Amino acid sequence: MPKPVVKKEYPLTVRVYLIEIIKGLGLTWKHFVKNIRYSFRKGPHTVPTTWQYPEDRRPISPNFRGAHMLMLNDRGQELCVGCGMCARTCPAKCITVKRGKPAEGEEDRYAGKTCCEDFTIDMLRCIFCGFCEEACPKGAIVLGQGHELAEYTMEACIYDKARLLANYEAARAAGTLKPKPKKVPVDAPPPKAAAAKKSAAKAAPAARKAAKDANGAGKEAKSPEGDKK
Amino acid sequence: MDYDPVCQIDRDPDDLVTINIGPTHPAMHGTLRVIAKTDGETIVSAEPEIGYLHRGVEKLGENFTYHQFIPLTDRMNYCSAIASNVAYEMAVEKLMGIKVPPKAQLVRTIMMELARIADHQVLVGILGVDLGALTPFFYLIIQREEIYDIFEWYNGARLTNTFGRIGGVNADLPDKFHEKWPTLRDTIRKANEETDALLTKNRIWLDRSVGVNAFSAEDALNWGFTGPCLRACGVKRDLRRDEPYMFYDQFDFKIPVGKHGDVFDRYMIRMEEMEESVKIIDQAYAMYQEMPEDAPLMAKVPKIIKPPEGECYHAIETPNGELGFWIRSDGSDKPYRIKIRPPCYMVYQAFGELVKGDMISDTIACLSSLNIIAGELDR
Amino acid sequence: MEDWIIDLIKVVFIWVWCLLIAVVMTWVERRASAMMQDRLGPNRAGPFGLLQPLADGIKLFTKEEIIPEKAKSILYVLGPALFALPAFSAYAVVPFGDKIVLGGKEIILQVADVNIGFLYVLAIGSMGVYGMVVGGWASNNKYSILGGLRATAQLISYEVPLGLALLAVVLLYGTFSLREMVFQQSGTFLGFLPNWGFFKQPLGFILFLVAAYAEASRVPFDLPEAESELVNGYHTEYGGMKLGLYLFGEYVNLGTLSAIIVTIYFGGWQLPYVDMSAFLGPVAYGIASFLVFFLKQAFFLFLFVWVRWTVPRFRYDQLMGLGWKSLIPLCLVNFFITALLVQLTV
Repeated sequence: MPKPVVKKEYPLTVRVYLIEIIKGLGLTWKHFVKNIRYSFRKGPHTVPTTWQYPEDRRPISPNFRGAHMLMLNDRGQELCVGCGMCARTCPAKCITVKRGKPAEGEEDRYAGKTCCEDFTIDMLRCIFCGFCEEACPKGAIVLGQGHELAEYTMEACIYDKARLLANYEAARAAGTLKPKPKKVPVDAPPPKAAAAKKSAAKAAPAARKAAKDANGAGKEAKSPEGDKK
Repeated sequence: MDYDPVCQIDRDPDDLVTINIGPTHPAMHGTLRVIAKTDGETIVSAEPEIGYLHRGVEKLGENFTYHQFIPLTDRMNYCSAIASNVAYEMAVEKLMGIKVPPKAQLVRTIMMELARIADHQVLVGILGVDLGALTPFFYLIIQREEIYDIFEWYNGARLTNTFGRIGGVNADLPDKFHEKWPTLRDTIRKANEETDALLTKNRIWLDRSVGVNAFSAEDALNWGFTGPCLRACGVKRDLRRDEPYMFYDQFDFKIPVGKHGDVFDRYMIRMEEMEESVKIIDQAYAMYQEMPEDAPLMAKVPKIIKPPEGECYHAIETPNGELGFWIRSDGSDKPYRIKIRPPCYMVYQAFGELVKGDMISDTIACLSSLNIIAGELDR
Repeated sequence: MEDWIIDLIKVVFIWVWCLLIAVVMTWVERRASAMMQDRLGPNRAGPFGLLQPLADGIKLFTKEEIIPEKAKSILYVLGPALFALPAFSAYAVVPFGDKIVLGGKEIILQVADVNIGFLYVLAIGSMGVYGMVVGGWASNNKYSILGGLRATAQLISYEVPLGLALLAVVLLYGTFSLREMVFQQSGTFLGFLPNWGFFKQPLGFILFLVAAYAEASRVPFDLPEAESELVNGYHTEYGGMKLGLYLFGEYVNLGTLSAIIVTIYFGGWQLPYVDMSAFLGPVAYGIASFLVFFLKQAFFLFLFVWVRWTVPRFRYDQLMGLGWKSLIPLCLVNFFITALLVQLTV
């Protein structure tokens, strides 16, 4: 179908072009003067909207989903038990976990009875969705604030366990560890919850247990104390 | 109504020049391609070609669990990932019959409307850039960064948010939102006013946008337009009002409607919708604040999501229009088939019709004003 | 000193000065636009990023010179030169100051005080379009050709209002010599306004300004290069210093047009109400007159930048419509009124 033709009448002030253009010039001039004034301020972050990157770093959210790290608990023990939940839930399939038993005399290094012998994250595949963090029952894998992830070789982008632990140490030293996520309140479970059977097995409070099951991702299960049981 | 005679001139096809606009062209957002046959500067026929960003999202969905599909929806309309996330989650929830707790719905509403504002800001800014006015783009994009800050403080990502989970949301509104919103709503408005001052009454802008590829309501409906492009043509259809979901039936907001369906109307509708979104967020935030601190944010959802056998279609009003997910479940933990109805797809197929008889410059204006997002278009 | 040496020095000085203006303008354009858009702009190279143009220049010079295989290579190389040369040449007749006395010799601050300088400016000014057209044609690229076509149509149509607006000025001053025009603008008009062409020809000035924007193909008339439509218009295929010449040429053009605006409508080197030669020594007066001229020119250069970052771009047909249907009739009206006034007052 042919297109309709639009005819509109404008007031004279609009029709002569110049008046509105001069108003617009006034607006840009206002910004110009304001920013010139700002640019004489001392310090690196002068014009308030520009962060001059290497010198001037914008604050990063504590929840930021950046480079991964493998967490240790307060006593310096590795939290990961090598269950492989993260690998299973990863949409990009970038995590490889190999479960193992702690070697003789090294049990103190690990919080759980088992540990991960090998933990590899292919950062070239990772999409930083944060699902691994949510899936982890022990709160062992966390996405930190690391965001400058460029490397010179592809091999360097594949993070092994040592690197992930080093990420943790670096974050702890910088004080940028992720705060413990708040418990997500879940709707009261229906009386005949499927989870009832399971929750009876453990002494954990029923509501909390239900929440854990319901959330699927089990965010609130991250407390290290729970792991020692 | 009288009609543009340009297209009715008989031309020797050999005299026409074929110009490939895109896929690498500064004004083709993402990777679009238009094969335009031109007579001088006039477009005689334009044929949009799609598929340059096809990633097989629908097929990938068949191999992912229901939760794993959420990050893929981020990558559809990357200007407002949250709206796509929520659209998908609501479809799965409908399939499973999950009732999302009201507080989670409010969090979703607030974040979705923020995403809508961000999306419209990008659109208006880019429309300005494509018509040669670069400055409003920056005024708007600075405000969008503030919105993205809220997203980042919410769950750690600015662009690909992976917002929400099936059955609710995985976090409460961040403190950043509480501290930022009272000022942000004003700065968003101020940026809009400045854009308005630079563009809306400027005769050059009016010349470039008023009447450019006007479209009749009847045509728009026939081509399957939804969202702002349809409302610009004068059809008052907004899923938030017509098929209300969440709390939209309780909010007081206007649905801006255009008249001619031209570039100017599409632009104005977006400007007005930003204002309405601010109002919606205010109302939703007021409702949110009345909720108790520990009100549930997640419904009771099994650990592994296995919807019952069956199928469902659910669509919501995303910034671009009706984004629908049709999901068929065979009872396993992976969808049997996911079909996505992106709003861009329907709009873009009418592109040739829209620009016929216009000039090359108008193609660019048209493309920007339709807000074609290649990620959503090609999936 | 021989006359020809003085002339040579003046030529070299103007050449360098034009280039300097163009170089600094690239910096001003980027920094000023950044300031208008709440950004910072280039600020790494040197203080305030002042060395950025130098860095750009080095980049452009050291880049690989590419001539596309299907391009017409002679024309392709000729294009940028054809574009940049007229821009420089037009400056030859612009009086950029009054006169300076050096070593007992009076030197006028103008390369050539030709009595038809005015026509020379118009003639040379319209040469620049050949650079665009030739470059667009030789590139063998559809976008470039479209850019070249747009440039042809636009510059030819805006040549008419430009000339008509200036014709009214000629009626007013009764001379073709730019220097003479500046002299006629001394004193006051109606007792309190500076006796500038602007106050006698306000409509003519606006028309000339609009036409000048179109001549320089700046936003809102930057259709030949319209980056969002034609990629980069006539210089899409260019790279290295050939592209650099196009970019420099554009700024030199702006400098020339600003200089002509100042000369014709804003009293050239003269300050309003003050006669500088009365209390300044001959050398100081020469320098002061040059500086006054430059300050006025700088304002118009900035206006070019300022407008560019405020308004959107015209469409091709609207541009032609504006030129033929609005500007030319208005120019004729202005011409008629001027003629009437001149007839009545003389």
